[in-house]
Amino acid sequence: MAEVGDVRKAFRHVGKPVPRVDAPAKVTGRTIYGDDLKLPRMLHVKLVHAPVAHARIKGIDASKALAVPGVEAVITAQDLPPHRYDPDNRTRVLLARDEVLFYGQPVAAVLARDPYTSAYARDLVEVQYEELPPVLDPLEALRPDAPLARGSVQALEEGEVGGHITVEGAEARKEEGPRNVASTITFKRGDVEQGFKEAAAVVEGTWRTPMAHQSYIEPHVIVADYDSTGRLSIWSSTQAPFHVRNEVAKTLGLPETRVRVISTEVGGGFGGKIYLYEALVGALAMTLQRPVKLTMSRKEDMLAATPAPNCIVQLKMGMKADGTLSALKARVIFDTGAFPGAPLLPGCLLIGGFYKCPNLEIEGLEVFTNKVSVGALRAPGAHNVAFALESALDMLARRLELDPMEVRLKNAVEKGDPLPSGQPYPAIGLKECLEAVAKSQLWQRRHEIRAHPNRGVGLAVGGWLGGLQPASATVTLNADGTVNALVGAADITGTNTAFAQIVAEVLNLPLEMVRVTTGDTDSAPYAGMSAGSKVTFTVGRAVKLAAEDAKEQILRIASQRLEAPPEELELVDGVVRVRGREDKQLTFRELGRWSTAFGGRYPPIVGRGAVAPRLQAPSFSAQAVEVEVDPNTGQVQVLSWVVAQDVGFAINPMAVEGQMQGGSTQGLGLALFEEMAYDEQGRLLNPNLLDYRLPTTADVPPIETIIVEVPSEDGPYGARIVGEPSIVPGPAAVANAVADAIGARVFQAPLTPEKILHALGKIKD
Amino acid sequence: MPKQLIRLVVNGEGHEVAVEPWWSLLHVVREVIGLTGSKEGCGTGDCGACSMIVNGRLVTSCIFLALEADGAQVTTIEGIGGDKGLHPIQQAFVEEGAVQCGYCIPGMIVAAYDLLRQNPRPTLEEIRYALAGNLCRCTGYTKIYQAVLRAAEMMGG
Ligand code: FES
Ligand code: FES
Repeated sequence: MAEVGDVRKAFRHVGKPVPRVDAPAKVTGRTIYGDDLKLPRMLHVKLVHAPVAHARIKGIDASKALAVPGVEAVITAQDLPPHRYDPDNRTRVLLARDEVLFYGQPVAAVLARDPYTSAYARDLVEVQYEELPPVLDPLEALRPDAPLARGSVQALEEGEVGGHITVEGAEARKEEGPRNVASTITFKRGDVEQGFKEAAAVVEGTWRTPMAHQSYIEPHVIVADYDSTGRLSIWSSTQAPFHVRNEVAKTLGLPETRVRVISTEVGGGFGGKIYLYEALVGALAMTLQRPVKLTMSRKEDMLAATPAPNCIVQLKMGMKADGTLSALKARVIFDTGAFPGAPLLPGCLLIGGFYKCPNLEIEGLEVFTNKVSVGALRAPGAHNVAFALESALDMLARRLELDPMEVRLKNAVEKGDPLPSGQPYPAIGLKECLEAVAKSQLWQRRHEIRAHPNRGVGLAVGGWLGGLQPASATVTLNADGTVNALVGAADITGTNTAFAQIVAEVLNLPLEMVRVTTGDTDSAPYAGMSAGSKVTFTVGRAVKLAAEDAKEQILRIASQRLEAPPEELELVDGVVRVRGREDKQLTFRELGRWSTAFGGRYPPIVGRGAVAPRLQAPSFSAQAVEVEVDPNTGQVQVLSWVVAQDVGFAINPMAVEGQMQGGSTQGLGLALFEEMAYDEQGRLLNPNLLDYRLPTTADVPPIETIIVEVPSEDGPYGARIVGEPSIVPGPAAVANAVADAIGARVFQAPLTPEKILHALGKIKD
Repeated sequence: MPKQLIRLVVNGEGHEVAVEPWWSLLHVVREVIGLTGSKEGCGTGDCGACSMIVNGRLVTSCIFLALEADGAQVTTIEGIGGDKGLHPIQQAFVEEGAVQCGYCIPGMIVAAYDLLRQNPRPTLEEIRYALAGNLCRCTGYTKIYQAVLRAAEMMGG
C-alpha cells in the first residue's frame, strides 16, 4: 500500500476530516428541499397511475374529477403541447398514449389548488382499459412463444447508465433477439472449455437478485414554472441538472437557453434521481400557464420511478488445485421492465472484472417485461453479478479446502489486467483492500466466531469503474478578500465541502473564507451529472485548476505591487507576502477591493478550471461480515461488519467513511430485506416502507471502516471514485457468512427467513 | 363538512388553524403554519422523517390527525435549538458527520431528543432500539450512533 500518511501531513485542509458545510442547516430543519417550495398560484399535480400491467387505453372520462371544487384541469396524452414523442424512450412518453406497459404508468395528470384535492380527484378519473397479457418473468419472456411485452425498440439515445460508467472499446450491441430482447452483449477470452478441463473443481449455479428500490427518503419532487417570456424554470431534486435541462429542451422542443434547471437539495438519490418527470411537469406548466408542483408520495414513487432491475445470473466457474481460476462462463439476464435502460454493460464487464481469469465467456441479455422500467441504483448491475461471482468463489474455495481470503488475493485484478472488454485497468487497490480486511479484528477472530454454533463470517469484494464526464468550475475573489467557488454539480455526498477544502488548500486560506455554491444551469459552469461516483474526481480537478488559476492571477498582481518575482511570494491566510519579508505584503481584501471598486485598477480575479478526464479511477471494496442465524426461525442477525475501500486519497475522510458505511448498509438491505414483490398480474404488492423493508438501526451494527489509499493517476491529490463500490459486496458477503454459519447456501437474495429454512431443508416448495 | 378550528402550541407559539378532518398534523405544521423542517418520507408512519413530540410523546405526525392535536403542545425540529445556536444533539450530529442528504435528520434528531429526555445516558443498544422507527438511507447509522452517544456526553447525562 502506498504510504499516504506523509503525503497527508503536507496538507492543511485536504485529507482532514471536516464536517459538511451544509450540516448546520440540515440539523435545524432550515435546508429547503423541493417539497418546501411554494410559488404564487402554484397548482399541485397528481398522476393517474395505471392499475394494470399491460393494456390498451379505450377511453378516459375525467368529468367526475373535473367537477370537484378546486380541480383546475385533467390532462391526458392528447392534451399535452406538441413535443417529441418516442415510444421507446420512457422519458419521452410523458403520459401513456394508447398502450399501458407497466403497472403504475402515468396515464393522466390531475391539477388542483392543493395536493389533497388533486389526490382525491385523481381517483375519480375513469380510464377504460382493454387488458393484454402481461409478460412478467424474464425467462418466460425469452421463450420463442412468449407474448410481446411491447413493440421493438431503438437504442436509447443517451442512456443513464452511460453516465455511471465509461468504457472504451465496448458498446452494447442491440440485436433482434428471440423474444422480448432489448439488447445483448458478449465478451470472450481464451477457451472456456479448455479452462474447465484444467479445473480441479467446477461449480455451477443460478443466482437471483430481485427488483429493488433506491428508497431515498425524499420521494421525487419537481416544480415547474413557465413565464410570460417563454422561459421554463424547473426545480428538481435531480442528481443531473444539466442532463435534465438538455433532455427537457429536446423533448419539449425548446432551445437550452429557455430552460433553466435548479437542482434543489437532493434528499437522497443513489442513481434513482437522474431524470424522469421533469418534461411532463414542464409541459403541464406550459399548458396551464401556472406553476405546477409534483410531489410523489412514497407509493407513487415505488410504482413509477426507476428502481433497480431483477437479475438472473447463470454462472459456471472452474478453479485449479492451487486456487487459480481457470474458467468463467456466465449468462447475465437483466429484466429492464417496459423500456430499455438496464445496466447490462457494467454487469457483464464486472462479472469478469474482479479476478484474473484466462478463459471467459460472458453473455448478457436485457429483457423487456411489463414492469416499471429500471434505472441506476448505486453501482448499477454490480451487486447483482457480485452476488453470483463472490458466492461461487467461496464455493470453489470450500470445495478445494482453500482459504477464501487466499483465493481472492491470488486472483484479484491488478493494474494492467484486462477487463472482459480488453481494456486494461489503471492503478487499482483490490489486493490492498483484501489485505486490510485480512488484518481486521473481525477477520482475525473468525475461527473463534465459528466455534459458536450458527455463527459465521463471510467475505466478498466489489468494485466500480466510475463514470467520466467533462466538468468546469470558477473561483472568484470577493471585495472583502473571501473566495467563492461556483460549480454545476449537485452536491449529494458532501462534494461542496471537499471543494471548499481544495480551494482553501490551494490558496492556503482558513476554510471559513471559502464558499462553494452549486449554481443553476443558467449560471453555473457545466458539470456532468452527480452519478458514477465521479464528482470529486472530475469536478474536483476543475475546482483545483480554477483555484490555481485564481492564485496565479493574484500572484501576478502582487508581484507587480510588491516588486518581487511570483516565485518569492507566498500566500498565508489571505495575505500575499514576500517570503521572509513580513513588511512586504498585501492582503486579499486589498486585492479584492482594487479589482472590484469604482476606479479599480485590476480586472476581477476569476479563476477558471475545465477538464475532460479520459482515464478512470476504479475503486474496489472488500467487506467481511459476521452473522448469527437462528436455525429455527431462519432469522439472520448481522453482528459485525467491516468495510475496506480504496479511495485513492480521502480528501474528507469523514465523508468517505460515511459513504462506505451508507453503501455497506444498502448492501445489507439488499442481502436481507429488500425486494419489490409483484403478483401474477404484475401488480406491485409492497409499495410502502413497511412491506418494502429497509435496514433500521435494529439491523445495522456499527460499521468499521478501513480507508485504503492507492493513489489514482489522474484524480485531485490522487483521489479516486468513492460513492458506489461499497454497496456491491453486501449480498454476497452475507450469503457467504450464512453459508459459513449453517453450511447451507442461499442462491436468491434477499436471504429471508423462508429462504434460509428452505436451504436448511426445513421447508419444501 | 366544514373546516374545524383547532388551537395548538407549536414550539411555544400559539396557533389557531381551521382544518379539514382528514388533514394530518404534519400538513398543518408544514403547509399552514409554515414550519417546513419536518419532512414527509412515507406518509404512512413507517419512516419517522415527520417525527414530532406531541404532549410529551414522540409521534409520526404524518398519521396524526390534526383534529387530535387540538389543545396540544407540539415540539418540532425548529423547537430544538436553531437560530440561537445549535442544541448539543444538533452540534454532535454536525461534528460526527452524521448528516448526509439530511432528509431523515430532523425526525432523527427529534427522536434522539426524546430518547435523551427519558434516558440521558443510553447505551449503544438502547440507542439502536429507540431509533429503530427512523429510517436513514444515507448514513448507515454508525455516525448517528456516535452522535447520540456524544450528545449524551455533552449534555452531561
Ligand atoms: S412521513 Fe411520517 S413516518 Fe414517514
Ligand atoms: S441523511 Fe439521507 S436519509 Fe438520512
